[in-house]
Amino acid sequence: MLNVFKKVVPTQIAKLEPFGVEIAIEKGERLLSAALRQGLDWPHRCKVGSCGTCKAVLISGEIKSQLDFAYVLTDKEIDEGYILACQSMLKSDISVRVVQRKEMK
Amino acid sequence: MRTFAVNARYLIVPIMSLLTIGGILLGGSYTWLGVALFGVCTVIDIGTRNIHRRADFASDGTSYGVKRFQYGVMYMMLPVFIALQLALAWQIRKYSVSASEAVALSNLFGAILSAALWAGLGIIYGHELSHNRREGFFVSRLIMALSGASHFTYAHVYNHHLDLGHENDPATAPRGRNVYAHAWHSHMGQSHYSFDMESGKAKRRQKSFMNFDNRWIIGYLFSLPTLVLFIWAGGLWGVAAILIIWGISNFLLEALNFMGHYGLIREEGKPVEHRHSWDNDNIFTSWFFIEIGRQCDHHVRGETYFWELDDVKGPNYGVGYFELFLYTLIPPLFRKFVQVHLDHWDQNYATEAEKKIAKEIYLNANPKIQSAL
Ligand code: FES
Repeated sequence: MLNVFKKVVPTQIAKLEPFGVEIAIEKGERLLSAALRQGLDWPHRCKVGSCGTCKAVLISGEIKSQLDFAYVLTDKEIDEGYILACQSMLKSDISVRVVQRKEMK
Repeated sequence: MRTFAVNARYLIVPIMSLLTIGGILLGGSYTWLGVALFGVCTVIDIGTRNIHRRADFASDGTSYGVKRFQYGVMYMMLPVFIALQLALAWQIRKYSVSASEAVALSNLFGAILSAALWAGLGIIYGHELSHNRREGFFVSRLIMALSGASHFTYAHVYNHHLDLGHENDPATAPRGRNVYAHAWHSHMGQSHYSFDMESGKAKRRQKSFMNFDNRWIIGYLFSLPTLVLFIWAGGLWGVAAILIIWGISNFLLEALNFMGHYGLIREEGKPVEHRHSWDNDNIFTSWFFIEIGRQCDHHVRGETYFWELDDVKGPNYGVGYFELFLYTLIPPLFRKFVQVHLDHWDQNYATEAEKKIAKEIYLNANPKIQSAL
């Protein structure tokens, strides 16, 4: 009976630089969850948008942020296109640059 | 059928909240219905203390939970909690206009207690909605604002999830603290954290603290309609009623925080793991509290919907929240109960560094606590 609440979910594509890997993101799924589900070792810690470990740079496409990034990312980072992968859903296919562990302070 | 059963079992609080509203509206001794239901739930929880079961998953590992249905229910709880306040305000208004002719003081007290206990359960929806979806976060703030605690949503995500098990997290109760002291420290600490977040943001943007984007101020402003409603309904009586409701509902909120992490320790900078939370997952607690008792899994997979949380074999009190809550109300009893679990945690879960911190805590504990250990 409750199946009427279920809907068919199309997928979108995220291209991850610098690896050139493409991953499928189901509708309603977050970028980080999709990457981890597909076996990628994406840096992360809290998964709720509070630590900043999963940050990435959005190169093209659009995302819908699930939480205000301004408490974790600086205004400069936000202007430069940084996003938090654990709090990002896709509005279109995207291309992102993953910030690797060695780049983090 | 299975999908229906799995989703319907999380409707206990919505149904009982509606019954509580009905009782308050009916008046007379029905106003005590909410208190009676809370008592019945306590009895059921104690009676089912030994029945534990995992969340249900289909053979392909997918959950039976239906996201749109569960979100619909959680969003609907906002108008339900508003209706609870309106029903109580109506009874207070009747009392203040016609005094005891229309409403006996004892029944008015029943209505206030009933409303307070069920308003306090707003936390389970406020909590779940704080984690998923931007709209959900906003609804969470509105639900928490009905209890004067809109700061919770920000502090929970940005502070509690990051600093869990460490002294930087006001919501983690250190060993030796009782629930009454914790309610105060945790509430004030989280509000302070949210205040600091906003003042830091304002400074970075070179704005005054008093700005239209200050979520700490806006959050408290969300509570204004409740305050105005109760002042209109009963003047000083109304103020007294809302203070009782906010007091009890915030106490319940902080009691959940208290039970979820009491005495657990994490070294600063080390990842949050299953061992940094206590699970309370007997069957009634799991269904009533929409799996909020699966804290071990929740804190490691914070992005996971409640119906997908699982038993991860983390530290477990072995009893439900209602039963444990009763113990917490009597601090010596709680300390005696929890010490066995803490010793087990120290021996079987803690790292060497965490054991060292635990030892220091015991050495520095005041003599009263030491003698109780
Ligand atoms: S993992 Fe912490 S902000 Fe994304």
